[in-house]
Amino acid sequence: MLSASEIRKVMEERTQHQKGTGKKVVDVREEMERLEEKGELLIHRIRPENRPVPMQTLFGWTKRIPTDRLWHHKSCGQCGNIPGYPSALLWIMNETGRTYLNEPHQTSCTAWNYHGTATSNPVALAAVAARNFHRAYETDHFPLIHCGTSFGDYKEMRKLLVENADVRHKVRAILRKMGRDLVLPEEIVHYSEWVQAMAPEIVARKKFDLGPVVATVHEPCHYYKMIPEDAIYDDRVYGGQRPAVPTGILLALGARVADYSTWYDCCGFGFRHILSEREFSRSFANLRKIRPMVEEAHADVAITSDTGCVTTLDKSQWIGKAHGQAYMLPVLADVQLAALAMGAHPYKIVQVHWHAAPVDRLLEKMGIDGAAAKAEFLEYLQALKSGRAPELLHTPHEEIEQYFAINKGQVLPEEGTGASPPTTEPPAGVGRALP
Amino acid sequence: MSVVAHLPHRTLSLADEEASSPPAMELTGRRRMSAAERSLAETIYQEFRADPRHEEFVLGCLNCGECTTGCPAARFYDFSPREMLQIAANGDATTLWDALQEKIWSCCQCYTCNMRCRFGNDIAGIISVMRELSVRHGVESTRRTLAPFGRSLTLLMTVGTQVSSDMIQPDFFRDWGPFATGSDKAWDVSPEIMRKAIPIDVLQTTRSAWEVSVQTSLELFRIYEETGVLDMLRGLDPDLTEMLVDIIEERREEFREARETHRARLETMRGPVATFQG
Amino acid sequence: MNPVLVLGGGPAGLSAAAELASLGAPALLVEKENYLGGNPKRWHYSLLAPDLKPAEEVLGELLRKVEGNPRVETRLETTVTQVEPAGKGFRVSLRTRETLETREVGACILATGFDHFDSRRKYEYGYGRYPDVLDFKELEGMIHDDRILRPSDGAVPKRIAWILCVGSRDLQVGNTWCCRMGCAVSIKQAVEIRQKHPEIDAYVYYMDIRTYGLWEDLYWKSMQQYGVKFIRGRIGQITMAEGGKRLVATGEDTILSRPTEVPFDMIVLASGMEPGHGTQEAAKLFHLPVGPEGFLTPKVADINPVDSGIPGLYLAGAATGPKAIPDSVTEGMGAALRAFQYARD
Repeated sequence: MLSASEIRKVMEERTQHQKGTGKKVVDVREEMERLEEKGELLIHRIRPENRPVPMQTLFGWTKRIPTDRLWHHKSCGQCGNIPGYPSALLWIMNETGRTYLNEPHQTSCTAWNYHGTATSNPVALAAVAARNFHRAYETDHFPLIHCGTSFGDYKEMRKLLVENADVRHKVRAILRKMGRDLVLPEEIVHYSEWVQAMAPEIVARKKFDLGPVVATVHEPCHYYKMIPEDAIYDDRVYGGQRPAVPTGILLALGARVADYSTWYDCCGFGFRHILSEREFSRSFANLRKIRPMVEEAHADVAITSDTGCVTTLDKSQWIGKAHGQAYMLPVLADVQLAALAMGAHPYKIVQVHWHAAPVDRLLEKMGIDGAAAKAEFLEYLQALKSGRAPELLHTPHEEIEQYFAINKGQVLPEEGTGASPPTTEPPAGVGRALP
Repeated sequence: MSVVAHLPHRTLSLADEEASSPPAMELTGRRRMSAAERSLAETIYQEFRADPRHEEFVLGCLNCGECTTGCPAARFYDFSPREMLQIAANGDATTLWDALQEKIWSCCQCYTCNMRCRFGNDIAGIISVMRELSVRHGVESTRRTLAPFGRSLTLLMTVGTQVSSDMIQPDFFRDWGPFATGSDKAWDVSPEIMRKAIPIDVLQTTRSAWEVSVQTSLELFRIYEETGVLDMLRGLDPDLTEMLVDIIEERREEFREARETHRARLETMRGPVATFQG
Repeated sequence: MNPVLVLGGGPAGLSAAAELASLGAPALLVEKENYLGGNPKRWHYSLLAPDLKPAEEVLGELLRKVEGNPRVETRLETTVTQVEPAGKGFRVSLRTRETLETREVGACILATGFDHFDSRRKYEYGYGRYPDVLDFKELEGMIHDDRILRPSDGAVPKRIAWILCVGSRDLQVGNTWCCRMGCAVSIKQAVEIRQKHPEIDAYVYYMDIRTYGLWEDLYWKSMQQYGVKFIRGRIGQITMAEGGKRLVATGEDTILSRPTEVPFDMIVLASGMEPGHGTQEAAKLFHLPVGPEGFLTPKVADINPVDSGIPGLYLAGAATGPKAIPDSVTEGMGAALRAFQYARD
């Protein structure tokens, strides 16, 4: 086994991973700074108010993870299939006193449109990314990306916008027509990185023990296989040889993390496959992921950190019964398990009822009274049915926000009538105006 | 004429090959291409090679197979990223055309091949370029492959989210089991109430992944118009495209009306409306 | 005449020192480690490809010519920390842990060699984490002592795989070159093991087999006489199966165009050659240009492969690129001759 100092040496060597060749992978953030100098874009900076926590990336570069004043970039599949994922995240933010904006003024990254059906193109993807980045910027809240694919796509798009002047100019022209401009965040941050950064505070609020729980981790492909240099690694997690998230929070919470032979494999989501080639998705998920997790690692729960992965791994299992493979291994996002450990309501907050594989046994192992929680929830459903107002995690949006993404000083675009002038006044303290 | 007799004359023009029979390629079991298909294949091939991304993504290949090692599709389909890269690098119009028929749609876009590739090729990326071309040119097999996605495309194009909870219908997702829609039948609760039980207001919709403001969806659609996505989609499905244009026109009207209704309030607005202050 | 400084006590340096002595010239042999013999000695190389001659025999021959030779002054655990021109030659500072000494030398030969690639950098293979994933230099020692046992539990392995080109021909780790040795050495190891333990199955995963020139014979024999199995494809990942009891190597059999996944008891990584630490230091010390790969570059490689371009400074062995022992020995001789001519005139 590697000693800590040996691991550090490897991490150090990885920093100079292309020693001698001079073909070192470029840190796109450095070029981004130069472009800002030249007035070609603005950087949405992490400020002290964002209470950043430093982490290490694959090559040992520092990545600062903002933990406060965040702009939730929700995931399109997450909210449709597994809403407990964003609600658990928002709940933990409330519990730990973090502020955020969760707006209707956000599109998904639309990368599904590209990776699933190819009915888009990189310029469009880059423009969508920049549009959402600008919205976060003008609200002075730092974007936090919920989805693995959005995270991967935004890393790619930031790189594309930095490296390709032609795309940059095209996108900027489009943004200006809608009263926006080109802003790129200093870091592209995945929510699981936030969870890792918040681990000490989460652990401090732990109410239920994960000690008896064996967890297997599915690492979302787009978290670390797209632009690998921007994923975070920690030498305490598999000797820095696998991404630090979402394994890190499980270890911090005291769960037993078990390895299995196909940990490197994708979940079988495949974008279009999950909808129109389901025989593939479910076979892959069951045979290549769930079975080894159960048979090799004897897992109580599979933990991952992406929308598509939770959906595929969870929903694909039920049909396994047809082949005598009734594994029904619970599949949760890291943040859902963390919220459960912190005492979140399994139904009202973690929304476990959206999951196809039941979590009852897991709750029992953690010492959570699942039956009582379910009874409570059913009662709540009846109350909603009879017209009671729903319980919410943050103040509801006003009606006017169904229409307008409004902000200080912003000139409303004249949709359908042509261009409107760009924002002249950046939000206070965020940055400077573009020339 | 024997096949062997053809071998020294491989520079035959397409027309010659049409006239002579049987062309050597067909002996390997290929379907015979029509003249229209040949011409479309040639156009696509030229565009493919001329795409600046080709040079950027396709560098070379040692045929080590590490890309295929982690490829999920390679385990279930007649597909390998190594083969796709070979086609991209060394294939001709016909082999590219063949790949467009089915293989490009086997790829899961998981990017494992890219992470593995020791040569630095962007294999997932070049497959996307192939896909884009077959969408833009409305290749028949691509039309068929994408036929089930009308609903997702409509959502993506108009509000920019891919799936809504009312799309997860038990009938269509039978293999997902009885809980796929979030509730047990015995609970006797409508999907709308199940959404209401999510403690986030913008998620309490069934028609989209979350409520997207009109302005946001208009901005999105504008991006699609300006970047040629709408034109691209027209090549694939003109009817769907016209429907999208109509939907957006309605939303534009809605936006204009709302401006009048809310004018007074808009003028006094300062900053984001709903902020959670922990 | 002032001695000729030979920096590095591996095969090339030993050969240069021995050759200088035979020409009647004094040699000052400086080695940073506390032994002579370089990487072959350090890692207890077993038999050497292609003739399967024991490394000790080959090295022993060179060592005998140097050790106790009155014309060769050997300094172990010593590094050169400073160099400046002095007359036609150089003034060099020799540092040991305790002492610092300045010497004048008539010419210098850099035989600073290579380092084996640190396989931990290819983290897909779990080297350093999975005890049964070995570097082939470690297996050399095991073969040498004839103790082929699985490190995790001391059991005799039933099935061993070799993965070629680890840290070679790989842009991801920045090493795009071929190490030239990995194929021959791995096949040689498989042959040695099959010779002594025919019950152990040996699989070699390769992209191309580069047993160049006459070494090809080893490749043929390995199949014909020893039943070593060859699968075309580079392993993409090594993981643990059976609850942490067995390694699984996943790759593509590129001949069959199919993914493969095979459990193994031991997996051996043929780690590539990188410019040695000493070579990198020497480049800085003498302000020498290095090629894109980080190795020292002869001024006109095809006409005089040992000539650095700086008068009185010569290069030999793996400092200028991956090399087999016979080639390093030859270059040591060539460099010795050139240095002798320069220092004598």
